Amino acid sequence: MISMSKAEVIIDFKGPISFETMEMLLNKLRSAKEFTEMRKPAKKRLYGTVVESIDNIYKYGAGDLAALKNKKKMPLLVVERKGKDFTVTVGNLVMSENIEDLRFKLDRVNQLDMEALKSLYEDVINQEAGEADRGAGLGLITMALRTEKDIEYSFVPVDHEFSFFKMQITINE
Amino acid sequence: MEKLIIEPTLNSPRVILDPQKNQFEFSGESRPENVRNFYLPILEWLEKYAGELSGQDKSNRTISIQIQFNLEYFNSTSAKYILDVFKAINTMSDLGIEVSVRWLYEEDDEDMLEVGMEMSRMSKLTFDYVKTDE
Repeated sequence: MISMSKAEVIIDFKGPISFETMEMLLNKLRSAKEFTEMRKPAKKRLYGTVVESIDNIYKYGAGDLAALKNKKKMPLLVVERKGKDFTVTVGNLVMSENIEDLRFKLDRVNQLDMEALKSLYEDVINQEAGEADRGAGLGLITMALRTEKDIEYSFVPVDHEFSFFKMQITINE
Repeated sequence: MEKLIIEPTLNSPRVILDPQKNQFEFSGESRPENVRNFYLPILEWLEKYAGELSGQDKSNRTISIQIQFNLEYFNSTSAKYILDVFKAINTMSDLGIEVSVRWLYEEDDEDMLEVGMEMSRMSKLTFDYVKTDE
């Protein structure tokens, strides 16, 4: 069903993402009227989802070199309110060779129910620090635990080396 | 043992590890740029402190430690290291020291309460859950 309510854009960012950009985007979120009006639990879930989404760009992003080569394919972050739902959409270039791994992790968190997700969370968080830092998917599991809907995603090939990865997480107010 | 104090920033918590005052506290937000670099010195400090406690003369021994966690938000990578902090604290309780953990959470922040319960279960430490107004 197509939602009839109009989307209100809270953040619409496109450009290189650095740690400083993260601070700027979080400031923008914190000062948005739609955000300040939210109930606290949902507010924290949205805040956390934005942080984890940006972290995900660091972890899986193809990096500055790829962005330079493909200037039109800069990372993006969009936060919107549609009625009672808030959506966080994040996009960035990834190496096509990493798609399989990312797809596996996304499908896994989408398929598991809450109890199974919690048990996966426990397995991953107890791994050695080095493993959990990069690519173990703790961020994706955390996001999946905070949303009732699936994480929607797509990969669009850019050239033989890179694809543009987009994912959307919905937080219910 | 020399105390370890880390001042907070926008993205990293205030950390107080002060054996003289028996004050141990983590507060604020945790999503530092390099989570590993932030938590490694803390974990090393705790390990060293546990070593010092285990070497203490029984008649002149630290018998209880209270640690307070008042975190408003932490990201998933920080969660991993915070669990390691609890595991390090647990080694002190293995030495026969009475360790109590206060886990503060804002009223109606059920997610933070639930994460605390998970951390308690995974680290095998008992937490006291304290609801705060703000």
